[in-house]
Amino acid sequence: MDNILSVLIFFPAIAGLLGFVIDKNSIRAYGISVTVIEFVLSLVLWASFDGTSAAMQFVELVPIVPDFGISYYVAVDGISLFLVIMTTLMTLIGIISMSVKSEIKNMVITLLFLEMTMIGVFVTLDVIVFYLFWELSLVPMLYIIGAWGGPLRVYAAIKFFLYTFTGSLIMLVGILFLAFTYHDAMGGYDNVGVWSFALTDWYQLKLDVDVQLWLFAAFFIGFAIKVPMFPFHTWLPYAHGQAPTIGSVILAAVLLKMGTYGFVRFSLPLFPDASVMMIVPIAVIAIIMIIYTAMVAYAQEDIKQVIAYSSVSHMGIIMLGAFAMNTQGISGSIFQMLAHGIVSGALFMLVGMLYDRRHTKLMSEFGGLALVMPRYAMIFGIMLMASVGLPLTMGFVGEFLVLIGFYNVSPILTILAGTSIIVGAVYMLSLFKKTFFGELTNEKNKNLLDLDARETFSLVPLVLIVIWLGVYPTPILKPIDVSVASMLELMEAKATKPKTKEFIASMRSDNKEEN
Amino acid sequence: MIGLNHYLIVSGLLFSIGLMGVIRRKNLLMLFFSTEIMLNAANIAFAAASYFYNDLAGQMFAFFIVAIAASEVAVGLGLLILIYKKNGTLDLDDLATMKG
Amino acid sequence: MENLVYIALFAPFVSSLFALMFVMVPKQTFVGIVASMLLFISFLASSILAYHIVMTNEVIYVRMMDWIVVGNLSIPFGFVADHVSVTMMVVVSLVSTVVHIYSIGYMDHDRSFNRFFSYLSAFVFSMMVLVMSDNFAGLFIGWEGVGVCSWLLIGFWYHKKDVTRDINPSISPSWAANEAFIMNRIADLGMLVGIFIIFWNTGSLQYDVVFPKLSEIAVISPEILITAAIALFIGAMGKSAQFPLHTWLTDAMEGPTPVSALIHAATMVTAGVFLVIRANPLFGMEEVAGVSYFIASLGTFVAFFAASMALVNRDLKRIIAFSTLSQLGYMFAAAGLGAYWIALFHLAAHAFFKALLFLGAGNVMHAMHDELDIFKMGGLRKKMRWTWGYMGLASLALAGIWPLAGFYSKDAIIESAFNEGNLILWAMLVITAGMTAFYSFRQVFLTFHGDERYKEFGIHPHEMYKYVLIGMSPLAILAVVAGWGKDWFEGFVTNLLPAYKMSEHTHHLVTTLTIIVSVFAVSGILIAAFKYIRGLKRSEKMENSFIYRLLANQYYIPQLYAEMISKPYAELSNIFWKSIDMKIVDATVDAIANIVYKSGDGSRKMQSGNLSNYLAWMTFGAVALLIAALISSVLG
Repeated sequence: MDNILSVLIFFPAIAGLLGFVIDKNSIRAYGISVTVIEFVLSLVLWASFDGTSAAMQFVELVPIVPDFGISYYVAVDGISLFLVIMTTLMTLIGIISMSVKSEIKNMVITLLFLEMTMIGVFVTLDVIVFYLFWELSLVPMLYIIGAWGGPLRVYAAIKFFLYTFTGSLIMLVGILFLAFTYHDAMGGYDNVGVWSFALTDWYQLKLDVDVQLWLFAAFFIGFAIKVPMFPFHTWLPYAHGQAPTIGSVILAAVLLKMGTYGFVRFSLPLFPDASVMMIVPIAVIAIIMIIYTAMVAYAQEDIKQVIAYSSVSHMGIIMLGAFAMNTQGISGSIFQMLAHGIVSGALFMLVGMLYDRRHTKLMSEFGGLALVMPRYAMIFGIMLMASVGLPLTMGFVGEFLVLIGFYNVSPILTILAGTSIIVGAVYMLSLFKKTFFGELTNEKNKNLLDLDARETFSLVPLVLIVIWLGVYPTPILKPIDVSVASMLELMEAKATKPKTKEFIASMRSDNKEEN
Repeated sequence: MIGLNHYLIVSGLLFSIGLMGVIRRKNLLMLFFSTEIMLNAANIAFAAASYFYNDLAGQMFAFFIVAIAASEVAVGLGLLILIYKKNGTLDLDDLATMKG
Repeated sequence: MENLVYIALFAPFVSSLFALMFVMVPKQTFVGIVASMLLFISFLASSILAYHIVMTNEVIYVRMMDWIVVGNLSIPFGFVADHVSVTMMVVVSLVSTVVHIYSIGYMDHDRSFNRFFSYLSAFVFSMMVLVMSDNFAGLFIGWEGVGVCSWLLIGFWYHKKDVTRDINPSISPSWAANEAFIMNRIADLGMLVGIFIIFWNTGSLQYDVVFPKLSEIAVISPEILITAAIALFIGAMGKSAQFPLHTWLTDAMEGPTPVSALIHAATMVTAGVFLVIRANPLFGMEEVAGVSYFIASLGTFVAFFAASMALVNRDLKRIIAFSTLSQLGYMFAAAGLGAYWIALFHLAAHAFFKALLFLGAGNVMHAMHDELDIFKMGGLRKKMRWTWGYMGLASLALAGIWPLAGFYSKDAIIESAFNEGNLILWAMLVITAGMTAFYSFRQVFLTFHGDERYKEFGIHPHEMYKYVLIGMSPLAILAVVAGWGKDWFEGFVTNLLPAYKMSEHTHHLVTTLTIIVSVFAVSGILIAAFKYIRGLKRSEKMENSFIYRLLANQYYIPQLYAEMISKPYAELSNIFWKSIDMKIVDATVDAIANIVYKSGDGSRKMQSGNLSNYLAWMTFGAVALLIAALISSVLG
C-alpha cells in the first residue's frame, strides 16, 4: 500500500517491456488486462485516499542525487488524484476501442509507456523528475502520430514535438533559475546552501515580484503551448487531424490536461503575486480561446477538426477557472479538466468509429445518419449535450463552477466567457444537424452498421460516468475542494505584495462566511 | 631614433603579410611559410617590448616560440611529405574531402 | 406527503425511461398507455398535494441530496410544494396527461412512436423539476432540460431536409430545433448571470434564503438588484419567446402537434412567466420598479405585435403559435404590473384552452393529411363535429367571451393595466383583445365553415379516433369552468404571492371596462364572421399591399436575423479560420520554423571541406572579435 504510486507509475512500463515477448494475436488482450489492473489499482488508490485531508498522501521519497537535492518524490492530493484515475480510465477505454490494424503490438506497448509518463507527470513532486516525465510523454505520442497517422503525419508529428519541446525548454530554464534562487535563499552565498528540487520545499519560498513575473513567463510558455492557449494552439488541429483515433483520445483527454495541471500545481502556488497580476491578461486570452476557436470550429468541414477546435475552446474555460483565485473557480477548473477529458475522448472515439466505416470525416459526406445508426446518434447526442454543458451532465458542473467563480473576479469578463454556452451550442448543433439530421442521400451511408458490441462496451461506461458525475459530483468535488482551499491558503500566506494578499483574502473570505 | 613603435610597425606589417599568405595561398607548404612569418612577427614584437621595458620575460618567450616553431616544422614537414606521397599534390583545393 | 412530491416528480421520469427501453423496436401501443398512466399518477399526486396545501396551508419542503458543494456554494436537489408550484404542477401534469393520451392516437402511424413518448415524458420531468425546485440552480436544471427536450421534439422528424424559406418558413424541423436551442441559450446566459449575482450577494441560491436578504441588499446598493432582475428577465425572455427572441416559437411548430400543444403553448413557454412570478420578491421591489415597468411594456408590445402577425397568417399552427406569443405578452404585462396572481391565473387558464386549441388543430392536420394552409380547408364542420366544437370553444375562451376561462383571466389583466393608470397599455391590450377574437375566428371560420376547398386537392377528411376525442374533454371542460374559480384561486395563491387589489375607482368602473373589452372581442368575432363565414374571397389588392406583406413575413425579422446575424457569423468564422488561424497564426509558427531551418541549410555551405576557406573564415572571425572587443572597450 505504501508504494502504490510507484506501482501505478512503473507497472505499465514493465508490462510494456514484457509486451515485446507476447504473441501478436494476444497483445490486445494483454494490453487490456494490464490497463484493467492499472485502473483497478487507481481505484484502490482513490478508495484509500483520505478525502478530508489536504495533505499530500502516499508520499514516497527516495534521494537520487542528494548533492543537488534531486529525489524520486511522488505523492497525490485531491488535485492530482482524479487526473490519475482519468488517465488510467481513458487508456483502458482507448485500448478497448482501438481499431488500429497494423503493428498493433507496437501500439499497445507505446500506449503502456505513455501511460507511465502521464501518471508520472501527475504524481511527481520533484521538479526534475516531473520534467523528465513531462518530456518523455512526447516521445510515445510522436511515435503514435508519426507511425499510424494520416498522410501529413510526419509534418504533424514533428510540429507537435518541436513546438511543445521548445516551450518546455524555456520552462527548464525557469526551473533551474528557481532552483538556484532556492539554493541562494537557503544560504547559498555562504557556500552552505541546500539544494532542493522538491516542489513542497519550493512552495515555502517567498519571491520578489520581479522574479516572480519572469519565472511566471518562463513556466507560462511551457504550459501554454501544452494547453494549448491562443496563439500557441495551431499544432493541435494538425496533431488531431493526422493522429489515429487512439492518439487523439489520449491527446485530448490527458496530454492537454498536463498544461492546465501545471498552471494549478506550479504557477499559482509558486508565483501568487505574478498570478494575481496576470489574471486579466490570462482571462483575455482565455476568452479569445473560447470565442475565437468556437467560431473557427464552426467553420470547419471535417468532424474531427470541429472537435479538435472545440477542445481549445473548452481549455479556455479551464484556464479561466484556474485563475479565479477562489475555490469555486479552481475546483470547477479541475472538474472541467476531468469532464473535458472524458467527453472529448468519447467524441474523438465516436468520430473514429465513423471514420473506420467510411474512411472520411467530412461532414458533407454524411447527413441523416440518425436513421441508420440510431444508437450511435444517441450516444453522440449525449456527449454533445455534455460538451455544450447541459445540467446533469459532467460538462455543466465544471463550466458552472468556473463561471460562478470567475464572476467574483470580473463580471464583464465572465459574461464574455459565458458566451461559450452559446457559441458552443452553435458549432456542436450545426455539426450534429449536418451529420445526423436531414435526408439520407449518400448511397454509401445507406448500409452503415450501427455500433457493434465492442464499441458499445467502450462508450457506455463513459456515458454512465458523464451522467453520474453530472448528477452527483460530490465524491470528486469534495477532495478537490479541500486541496484547493489549502492551496489558496498557502498562496495568501506567501504572497509578497500586500495587495495580492488582500485580493486572495477577499476571494477567500466569501468562502469563510458560512463555514 | 628608432623607438618601440617602429618595431611594432614592422612586426605588424610582417604579421599582415603572413596573414594574407594564410588566406590567399593554396599550397600547404606556402601556408606553412606564412604561419612561420606570423610567428616571427610576434617574436619581433616580444623582443622589442622586452628591450624597451627592460623585462626579460619577452625575450624568453621569443626563444620558446623559436623552439616550438622548429619542432612544429619538423613534424609538419614530415606530414606534408606523407600527404604529397599519398595525393601527389599539396594544393588545398584538391585536398578538400571533408565536405559538409 | 414527501412521497407524493417524489411520485409527482419522478413518475414522468420513470415513464421516460420505460419508453426509452423500447426506443429501438417498432411501435408498441402499450408504451403510450403505460406512459399516460404514469403521467396520470403524477397528476393524481399533484392533485393530492394541492388538496393538502389548500386544506392545511402548509408548504412542503423536500431535500433529496446535495448536488454541488464547493466552498460556501451549496446546491441541493431540493423541492418545494407551495401554492405557486403546486398550481403549476397540477396544470403541467394535467395537460401532459391529456397530451399523452392524445398522442397515442396522433402518433399512431409514426414509426418512432416509442421514441416520441420517451422524449415527451422526459420533457414533463424537466418541467416538473423546473417548477418544483426550491433554488435557482434547480430551476436552471429544469430550464435547460426543457430546452433539450424541446430541441429533441421540434426536430422529431429530423429526416426532413432543408428547404428554402418560401416553401417552408421554418426551413426544416432540425433547423427550427437548432434555432430554438441556440436562441434559448442566448437567454440562458442572462439567466446564469442572474444566478451568479444572486449567489455572490446573498451567499445562497435557495429561494427561502435569497428573498429575505433582498431588502438588506437594497439598502447597500439597489443597482445589484436591478442588474439581477434584468439578467433574470433576459432568461425569461428567451424561454417565453419575447421580442426580440421570439422567432423560434413559430418555427417550433415544425414539431409534432402534441408537442406544440404541450411545450410550445401550455407549459414550457410559460416558464419565463413562472420565473418572474417565482421571483416576485425581487421583481416586486420598489428599487426594480423600472424593470417591472419594462416587463409590462414589453409584454403589452409583444401581445400586440404577435396578434398583428396572426391576422394574415395562413398556417393553422402558426396562427395559434402567434396567439400563444400574444397571450404570453398578456401574462408578462400582468406580472410586470405586480399582479402576479393574475399572471399565474391567466397562465393556468391559457394552458387549458390553448392546449385544447392545438390538439384540435392536430385533429384537423390528421384529417387533412398534414396540410396546414387554412386557405385549402373550409367546411370541415360537417366531417369533424367534435373537433369543430372543441376548437370553437377554445377560440371563444381565447377571445375572452363570457363565461369561459379566458374572459375572467384576460379581463383581470386588462383591468389591472387600467388600475395602474396606464391608459396606453390598457388601450393596447384592449385592441389586442379585439384582434385576438378576429384572428381566432378567422381561423375557425376558414377551417370549418364555408366552401369545401379541400376537395380540389383530393383530400378525404375524417374525424379523429373516439378515445382521443374523449381524452380531450377534460381540457374542454376546464376551458369553460376554469374562470369560475377566480376568487377562490386568488385567495389560495395570495397566501404566497402578494395580493393585488383594484382601487376603489377601478372597482366602480369594472362593469364598464368589462363591457368595453367584450365589445371589442365580440366585434372581432363579428368582423371575422362577416368576412369569412360564407367562404374565402381573396383580394389580390390587399394581399399585395405593403402592410399585408410585412405582417405575412413577420416584419421580415427572420430574414433580418439570417442576414444580419447568421450569415455574418458564418462568414466571420470562415475568415477567422482561413485568414487568421491558417494564414497568420499558423503561418507565423511555420515561418519561425522555416527561418531556423533555412538559415541552417544556408550556412551549411560554409562547411566546404576546403582548408583555405576555413582559414579565411577563421581570420574573419578573429577580426570580428577584435572589432567587437574594440567597440565594447570604447563604449565602456
